[in-house]
Amino acid sequence: MVAVHQFIPTFASRDAIGTHARHAQRILRDMGVESHIYADGAPGGGRRSARPYRSFGWTRSSKGGRTWLMYQFSTGSVLAEYLAARPEAKIFNYHNITTASLFAPWEPHVGVELEEGRRQLEELAPSCELGIAVSEYNRADLEAAGVARTVVSPVLVDLAARDVAPDPAVLDGLLAAKRAGGGDWLFVGRVAPHKCQHDVVRAFAAYRRLYDPAARLHLVGGIGSHAYFSALERFVVGLGLGGAVRLPGSVSQATLMAHYRAADVFVCLSEHEGFCVPVIEAMGHGVPVVAYAAAAVPETLAGSGICLAAKDASTVAAAVGRVMGDDVLRAGLVDAGRWRSEDFGLARTSERFREVMTGLLTGVPVP
Amino acid sequence: MSDDAKRIDHSRLLAEIDAEAARRRESGELPADFERELDLVFARFAPVHAIGDDFGQVLERAEQSSFIDVLAPTESSMPVVPQVKRLVRKAITWEMRYVAQQASAFATASARATRLLGERVDRLERVVGVDGSAPPAAAKVDPDWDHWAPVLIAALGTRCPGRVLHADAGDGDLVGRLNSAGLDAYGTDPVSRSGTAGIELRLDVALDHLAALPDETLGGLVLSGCVERLTAPEQQRLARLAGSKVSADGVVVVVSAHPRAWTDADPVAADLAAGRPLHAETWVELLCRSRPTGGAVDVVDGPSSNALAPVAGAAPDLAANLTLLAARVFPPDSYAVIARPTA
Repeated sequence: MVAVHQFIPTFASRDAIGTHARHAQRILRDMGVESHIYADGAPGGGRRSARPYRSFGWTRSSKGGRTWLMYQFSTGSVLAEYLAARPEAKIFNYHNITTASLFAPWEPHVGVELEEGRRQLEELAPSCELGIAVSEYNRADLEAAGVARTVVSPVLVDLAARDVAPDPAVLDGLLAAKRAGGGDWLFVGRVAPHKCQHDVVRAFAAYRRLYDPAARLHLVGGIGSHAYFSALERFVVGLGLGGAVRLPGSVSQATLMAHYRAADVFVCLSEHEGFCVPVIEAMGHGVPVVAYAAAAVPETLAGSGICLAAKDASTVAAAVGRVMGDDVLRAGLVDAGRWRSEDFGLARTSERFREVMTGLLTGVPVP
Repeated sequence: MSDDAKRIDHSRLLAEIDAEAARRRESGELPADFERELDLVFARFAPVHAIGDDFGQVLERAEQSSFIDVLAPTESSMPVVPQVKRLVRKAITWEMRYVAQQASAFATASARATRLLGERVDRLERVVGVDGSAPPAAAKVDPDWDHWAPVLIAALGTRCPGRVLHADAGDGDLVGRLNSAGLDAYGTDPVSRSGTAGIELRLDVALDHLAALPDETLGGLVLSGCVERLTAPEQQRLARLAGSKVSADGVVVVVSAHPRAWTDADPVAADLAAGRPLHAETWVELLCRSRPTGGAVDVVDGPSSNALAPVAGAAPDLAANLTLLAARVFPPDSYAVIARPTA
């Protein structure tokens, strides 16, 4: 029996890479391929689905069949060294490594980890049999690092399953505020320097001044950097926006759905995104997207949102002002966004992943 | 996709958004320095190395941070906690204030000292003429290794007492030749280049690399390239490092362009360059000083591209004078200074 085992630095069952790994495991098992998830760390519920990576040597059972080790690559990790020493064939499932210089001033230890990830990517690249990138942007990164054979297969995320009923209390609160006047901006993502929530706050400050003094901004997401989160909180207070900008932190899926339901526009000004699932999720919920054209974001949007070449506050504010004031444009963006989000429905992305895996197992490469 | 979605003309839309943003800025609805104000507010809370490398801005931040606020925030989303925090704050404020005053005084003095130091550096830079702009790079001419490699291999000998370092090694041409001659050589260069397979080339600056080596590690050292580019104080440091990092029975070789040939190649760049090649006599002096154990230091002249052709049938006196004249007017393009232990 052939086997494709996955290795992931930290397996968190709710985050994008953890979810992706679980779907990948299901698809592989449906194909009759033995597949387990091995991790260096598995907080919370992750422990039930992932095994400690050091147990790989004595728990694997694919006797006789060929074994591939699929590394869910997104940062520097001891797993890379471990895999480098293993004799089995390697596959990268590449989610991109955040540019260290964006993180290092805020969290020096994370900066070191990310630099280590880049180094490990270049070191392991020659031994990688296949690089599976979740976007063309990531594929280019893999090729630049020296991976000879690459394909694109998008992130596996079940958008339909995530579409749970919104938390009624949260939704009522958000809609009550909306009835009092003012539009709702939304961004979803870890509060971290490369996501540039401070740029969203800057643009929001300009928007309140120019277009809608009653507008609100919701920055939903757990803390990715305590130093950055603290600076962001103080920045908001320093601008006198304490009552208008909310940082609810990591929220339940039902609360997140309430935010998507109440949002008028999704604003993403990240400097670095390897794919950006929340953009797809926002479009799936009919929320028009205004984004800064950086990293993989233009590719993920594919013309279904407003993609800005600059993110100075007045330009972003003008873009949001246009979305809020032009009903025809808004309807067009909502419609285009829904179509685009369907490209990433689990059925389609799973089919592509299955196609890539079949190509690997049969030795017939897929484009 | 609906007709509305199909009708979005993105390039036109972006142009309209840009025009709208410009109109709002020009109308004065958004103050001219609004963006800068936002940046300044955020910079107050960002780590100092996230706001750039501007000395004045960083120092300003240090001065702002020298004030220590003894009144810690007491807000909390949990009941009773704010009251408890306020109580604790009130109880310890007198002690915190006493400590904070001393810490603030130290930080203020340090920031002031740094500002004074910065002003002195500014004055020094004005006097020396360093304004941060790089002078034009003088034309770099790689030594003619076809000519020099046999000379160096003979000087280093095949029984070199350790590894041989070539700095700056360029693409590793000389390192390859030394390896072929049976020497264990490697190279460093400050510029990343694609070298030949099997040749050990490290991306490093000669001075930094030598400084990091333990004393008497090298069996031989060949210096080229950097010796034409470094300033006089750096060249003196290079000679001192060469003396300490090469073992007493090792060989140090400097291969350099002759100052006049170097100047003639590009007079403008040569005039404005921060560093320039030294005369062979200067390297002899520096290497003698740097090798306390003594030894011989020799100069070997390279060929001259402007040498006078011998005049057939010239009288011996004329021929001798022509040779003297050629040596004065047309020095060799390059030279090697070889410091070796006494046999």
